[in-house]
Amino acid sequence: MGRQVAIASAGFSEHASKRSDVNMAELVSEAIEDCLKNAPGVEFDDIDAFVNGNMPAFEGSNMPELWMTDWMGARNKPLLRVTTGGTTGGTVAIAGYYTVAAGLPKVDTVLAIAFEQQSQGNTSVGLASVAYGEISILNTMGIPYDQLSRLLSAGAAIGVAAYQATNYMRKTKTTEEDLARVVVQNRQNAAKTWWTHLKMPNLTVEEVLDTPYISFPLRYGMVCPASDGACAMLFTTEEKAKDMCEIPVYVNGVASVANETAVLGYDGSGTGQIDPSDQIGAMKSSELAYYQAGISFPRKEIDYAEVYSPFPNQELMWVEKLGLFEETTAPKMYETGVTALKGELPINCSGGVNATNAIGASAMERPAEAALQIMGKADNQVPKTVHTSIGHGWGGSLNLCTLMVMSDEPRRKWRR
Amino acid sequence: MEKVGIVGYYQVKLHSDANYGRYEMIFKAVRGAVDMAGLKKKDISTVISCTNDYYDGRTISNCFTVEVGGGYMADESKVEMDGAHAVLYGLMRILSGNHKLAVVWGGSMPSCFPYHSTRLFETDPTWERPLAYVNDITSAGFQMRSYMEKYGVSAEEIASVAVKNRKNAAKNPLALAEVQNSNIDVKEVLASDIYADPVTELMVAQPCDGVAAILLAPERQALKITDKPVWITGIGYSQEAYYLGDRNLYESKSMELAGKTAFESAGIKDPKSEIDVAELFEAYAHEELILSEALGLAEKGKGASINSEINGDISINPSGGATSGNPPCATGLIRVIEAARQLRGEANGYQVNNAKKAIASGQVGMCAQNNILFVLEGGN
Amino acid sequence: MSEHKVIVVNKGMVRADYNFWVGRYLDKFFDNLENKKIVGNKCSKCGDVFVPPRKICGKCNVVIPLEENWVDLPDTGILKNYTITPYRVNDRTHRKAKDLLLGMIQIDGSNTAIVYRLLDLKPDEIKTGMKVKIEWAEKPKGDPSDIKGFVKM
Repeated sequence: MGRQVAIASAGFSEHASKRSDVNMAELVSEAIEDCLKNAPGVEFDDIDAFVNGNMPAFEGSNMPELWMTDWMGARNKPLLRVTTGGTTGGTVAIAGYYTVAAGLPKVDTVLAIAFEQQSQGNTSVGLASVAYGEISILNTMGIPYDQLSRLLSAGAAIGVAAYQATNYMRKTKTTEEDLARVVVQNRQNAAKTWWTHLKMPNLTVEEVLDTPYISFPLRYGMVCPASDGACAMLFTTEEKAKDMCEIPVYVNGVASVANETAVLGYDGSGTGQIDPSDQIGAMKSSELAYYQAGISFPRKEIDYAEVYSPFPNQELMWVEKLGLFEETTAPKMYETGVTALKGELPINCSGGVNATNAIGASAMERPAEAALQIMGKADNQVPKTVHTSIGHGWGGSLNLCTLMVMSDEPRRKWRR
Repeated sequence: MEKVGIVGYYQVKLHSDANYGRYEMIFKAVRGAVDMAGLKKKDISTVISCTNDYYDGRTISNCFTVEVGGGYMADESKVEMDGAHAVLYGLMRILSGNHKLAVVWGGSMPSCFPYHSTRLFETDPTWERPLAYVNDITSAGFQMRSYMEKYGVSAEEIASVAVKNRKNAAKNPLALAEVQNSNIDVKEVLASDIYADPVTELMVAQPCDGVAAILLAPERQALKITDKPVWITGIGYSQEAYYLGDRNLYESKSMELAGKTAFESAGIKDPKSEIDVAELFEAYAHEELILSEALGLAEKGKGASINSEINGDISINPSGGATSGNPPCATGLIRVIEAARQLRGEANGYQVNNAKKAIASGQVGMCAQNNILFVLEGGN
Repeated sequence: MSEHKVIVVNKGMVRADYNFWVGRYLDKFFDNLENKKIVGNKCSKCGDVFVPPRKICGKCNVVIPLEENWVDLPDTGILKNYTITPYRVNDRTHRKAKDLLLGMIQIDGSNTAIVYRLLDLKPDEIKTGMKVKIEWAEKPKGDPSDIKGFVKM
């Protein structure tokens, strides 16, 4: 039951803070063109179905794939839309996987597309409305309306991330230098990848620490940008992938587990009931996906990781929670160069979300880059051979995690 | 395609103003479906929800529904289309072999937001939306006129579809109270308020509050869970061009393609004679005719001439269809549930005799731009 | 449940402004619209002409290059379909208003139809297939409202 799924290609549009030269549909078609360019053997007619998603409230378009049909090339073809906020990209990639794995009639090759053109809309309002829907809960907790505006500004991503950061730093004795070091690694890596947004080849830790605080301990220089961009991935069956590309990347494990909804806390922390740096959802996700892929020792078996980290503290947290490093040791790994391009376990060589964040697309760019590393086609290619890599996504109200485990060999069923 | 079993379902009573929280509705539906199957929370391995950020008035509308929808520590995702598309995603997850029990739920509360204004956000933002001439209501007007002029169908014939569905809804205890009318006639439908000429108010599927949930399991597990499983044996879905000017509004290309794939995968050669029950998502009365013609249940332009009453030539929408209540993100899911109900012989009051094979459809977009069709079979 | 009294209603209104980039193709179209000119572009494969212009022909799935295949079109067309509606989806305060006559008009020389108002016409005078002509706005601004509507020829 279920078919082996492979990734045949991945493509990106150029990312920038304002892609005012194109509309959303044209932005999407750029990524698709790039994706098909990377797989010369694939004709448009070979694509049997589409999966797509973005974060609709950010751009003022509900189900934009309806009017973007022709730009995606989806006319008279099956199309499915999935969205889950920040993890949308990861969710779309996973839905692409399932569309192929299910073996639906007449569906072998699926194009998955995730996009976001944040410059069109008002992202802070979009994010605030995540919290705004919970007014009834604020009322039951006795929070007065006059404090609402403060809550809205704190309730968005940066607000919750700051609490997550302080929680994490308390537990692991992480310093601000550790955070800055992550940022420097990411932005320097981004400079070597063509499609990224914030390219800073000469950034130093001191420069990052020199920027003002937005919300302690996160400084202006540590926070992800808001980008416009799109990403596309081509999923297909094991047999067809062999004709479409030189090194097919097999998808061996997928998971998207949500733990407890983070109900807004009394002071707008975003998480009144749970420690936002615990992330048992992420741990469960990795457990599930590694099990499917037959991975028992993630630290030894995984060669490359792309994790979703708009804020540097999250990158440290994720690599621990996903089982790549022992708890509390991640900062040291960044200091000693284990996670650098030439290190033992390179992380986010595309610069990660910290350098480019087109929200709906971000969580798909992670598995896409991780797949390109296996194919050996990434712009900032790691020198060692990558056999197994992971692409991770994070979203919801801090509680949903997507994970895709990819490898250069098909799922090893005997290990399960 | 391997067959997948429907092992439980639940639909809350539809209300135009439910006056209780959406979380309560979601919990009631999901819990009801799990109870029907005699299972427990821990058995759920994946949850697919179906909501819409615009309909719920918030970003990431599935963010706070995790616990009530049974998604805590389960593999979870959201489809932002019709509930029937969520069933498709649940189906895919079962077929992949990764999961043994999928909960699919969908629903919304239009009593909390202006439904037709929200649908305006689905239009092309740079060309059509500034003037708002193209929206779900006017496009339905264009579609109905196109159908009438192409095939010489009269408004009375289309109104009689609405009459049939409203009379059927009167027998369906979960239908919206406002549409349950066993004394309605064609004259009353035509005399109701004009929405977009020739579409009148009583031809429109009225948006209402409601949530529905369904449980899916692979064949082997389904046989263990229930004595009366309903099998999904065929599936097809397709999306057609967007701009009204690019389409022949009098026909449904996407449903034609979806139907072809679904019937082929279920091994159905002559849908007209093999299908006993059709539950179609018709957002407007004329769409029932257009969709059933696209599926080959009637000849092109002759949809109104077949007897689609309960136990007629082919029973179309015995539950009242979307006319019996149109909760956004749940309507297509309810069609699947109603089809399953018929096959299990549980449709008290509107049961079709000896129902063996059924189809259920879902749609999304202006003039049913994206259609999905399931073929369901009863028995072991 | 609906027979129960309303217990709590929380009203929320989130207001957000959006600026939609029109993209390269529509930009050129709107520039021409400001000068009271209609342009379309043509698919080099099937020959279909689109108003407004598009980057991709959905039927053939080919890109129409930005610099090529532009077609000047007249301001006349054929009425393909029409509807009459009093319903205003974009007005929250007044749902019902004066009847609005809307038509799907195929600009002569194009292969698709655009939706605009029909002006100076009574409902019983409208017939599909009739010839219509653009009534331009007094002061075109380079957006969709430059076409005020269509009148009978």
